[in-house]
Amino acid sequence: MSASFERAALSRRGFLRASGMAAGAIALPGALAACGGSSGGSGGTLRLVGVADQQKPLDLLTKAYTKSKFNASYAPTDQVQTSVRTQLGAGNAPDVHVVFPGNGSAMSMMQISQAGLLADLSDQAWTKKIPANFKPAFQRDGKTLIHAAGASVIGAIYNKKVFQEAGVEPPKTWPEFLQVCEKIKKKGKIPIALGAQTPWVTQLISYALVPSTVYAENPQFDSQMQAGSATFAKSGWVQALEMYLELQKRGFFNDNPNGTTFEQQTSMVATGKAAMAIQVSAVLPDFRKAASGPDDLSMFPVPGADDAAGVWIPAGVVVGLGVSARGKNRDAAKAFIEFLGEQQNINTWAEAVACVPLVRDSSSKIDPVLEPFLSFMDGNRAVPFMDQNWPNAEVQPAHFAMVQELLGGKTTVAAGLAKLDETYRKK
Amino acid sequence: MSLLTIRRAKGGFLRPPWWFAAPALAVYALVVLYPTASGIVYAFTDWNGIGDSSFNGLDNFSKLLQDDAARGSLVNTLLLSVAIVIVQNGVGLALALGVHTAIKSRALLRVVFFAPAVVSPVMVAFLWKYVYNPAPDAGLNGILGAVGLGGLRQDWLGDPSLAIWSVAGMVVWQFAGYSMVIFLAGLEGVPAELHEAAMIDGAGRFQRFRHVTWPLLAPAVTINVMLSTIGGLKLFDQVYAATNGGPGHASETLSTVLYKQAFVFGNYGYSTAIALVLALFVAAVSMVQIFYLRGREVSA
Repeated sequence: MSASFERAALSRRGFLRASGMAAGAIALPGALAACGGSSGGSGGTLRLVGVADQQKPLDLLTKAYTKSKFNASYAPTDQVQTSVRTQLGAGNAPDVHVVFPGNGSAMSMMQISQAGLLADLSDQAWTKKIPANFKPAFQRDGKTLIHAAGASVIGAIYNKKVFQEAGVEPPKTWPEFLQVCEKIKKKGKIPIALGAQTPWVTQLISYALVPSTVYAENPQFDSQMQAGSATFAKSGWVQALEMYLELQKRGFFNDNPNGTTFEQQTSMVATGKAAMAIQVSAVLPDFRKAASGPDDLSMFPVPGADDAAGVWIPAGVVVGLGVSARGKNRDAAKAFIEFLGEQQNINTWAEAVACVPLVRDSSSKIDPVLEPFLSFMDGNRAVPFMDQNWPNAEVQPAHFAMVQELLGGKTTVAAGLAKLDETYRKK
Repeated sequence: MSLLTIRRAKGGFLRPPWWFAAPALAVYALVVLYPTASGIVYAFTDWNGIGDSSFNGLDNFSKLLQDDAARGSLVNTLLLSVAIVIVQNGVGLALALGVHTAIKSRALLRVVFFAPAVVSPVMVAFLWKYVYNPAPDAGLNGILGAVGLGGLRQDWLGDPSLAIWSVAGMVVWQFAGYSMVIFLAGLEGVPAELHEAAMIDGAGRFQRFRHVTWPLLAPAVTINVMLSTIGGLKLFDQVYAATNGGPGHASETLSTVLYKQAFVFGNYGYSTAIALVLALFVAAVSMVQIFYLRGREVSA
């Protein structure tokens, strides 16, 4: 009996001790987090979260910026989208974080700024130089809410050796483009590598063609869509998707594009198994890394019209950065953005990611493969990536799914675009 | 009769006071019950994850009934679950019976068959993307070609009518060994004397399995069927990493739809409603399974 009592008393004491230790263990991470938070808040350390594409330029520029220290982290787009949006919702957003230009994504400038979560950058000098055609990507109600260093273009990244072997030159019109593909196919090479299993890759051929089939004839298409007076199903989108499918019908893509990934697409072009891939210039570094030499590859605008003068191209503002409107370090974060807006830093960023600088001066070095695109951008024959003007985050994934279903023979152009219209009109 | 015996007989002496569990219950309430209850509340709102929200009654649930993508994903989820439950447990049982024999390498084989289950499902999905490479000379297609079965080459993840079954194959590969371990535990519990008695009575190998092993394996079957059903119904990682629900919506599951609604589209309220329906559905299916499968359990 007494032994039992002693055991009970001992275990109770042990229990209480263990409870105390457990409570301490639970409280410890909170206390550590609180310490981390306070040092981040008052010690001049800016918390920065970006996408993987931004790491290279930001590594250079955060090192060059001496007024603040940085606690920076980078991750692939979908992961960052999940984590940063959750932090925004919970009220503990990073001081500086990735924001996609324009609208059309849950992490886009328009969607986030609706909740008042982005600081106004309009008083900074660099914002006065934003070219007029790019302003919708940066501004809401006249206020500049994000910083981005330049524009990427979509075109054909091609293997110069394969083109030489096939005896072809970059084409200037759609019929020439088809002829080039035909000649490459006859040489036993895949004319166009397509990695449509990776969702974002599906959109690039539509995006490359739509500027010529839609916007060259109707530059007001986006505002008409917003006003409800235009639809995808009764526009040049029909023609663009038919051209997309014509490439498949003629056997210009690799077998099974829906089962092929972006990495496999990259490898096919870099190793010369395929002649080209229709891609965004931001992935040029990936292609160059996979090629035997960086000079093996070049790029040309995809001619989406029968007449060279009717060819327009897509040029979208690259993924940018915003400042948390409610962060404790807002002013320090805005100062860093002002630093990024200086011409030399815009140039550094643009060089690092192979994009065309937002503003150019004599010191701007543009990647030589982008030269063929400059006349389009300077001549107002370039339009933003389509999703940057779409009103909700569901349209772009619906476009991905539609293209995969078209390639898989599971839908038609008319049915696919009708569904896209329906998604566009969702509130 | 001593006091100790009386108190033991009443069962109260060694029973700790209820408040001993209070700290654990408090932590459980904080990290499980409170977020769950909050989640249920969000299912009746139009919350977009970052702004203010307002109650919208049953709008999210009526939207769910009319949502083609969600309905399609429900069908996919059910198909995947049925396929996984049948094939994974069938293969798991076959493996368990195989390594429950006296073969020399049984210990090694048990480890080899179980090994995939300890790898992260996302890693398995990335690895299987290489196995499922559609190029004729790569991965599974390459093996088929090398053994003269080139005609069976497929676009495993790119063909809309095949993608979902390719994902199921990947899941079965990973978790058949897990089912095997549970079946093995069941097999270890089948008394050898029952088999001996059946052999003396002239029962063959199949008859012994049918009338001795199988009835006594019922508890293992209950656990395996329930675990694989729950795993199948909430399947996310493998689908997200291998196909992202595509091509089109061909391999979308309820879990990928609810993820996309929340984190890609910003429809947190609607997504929470889907999650609530999924949770209730999984609970209901599990309870029905337990009710029926427990009924056929016997003991040796």
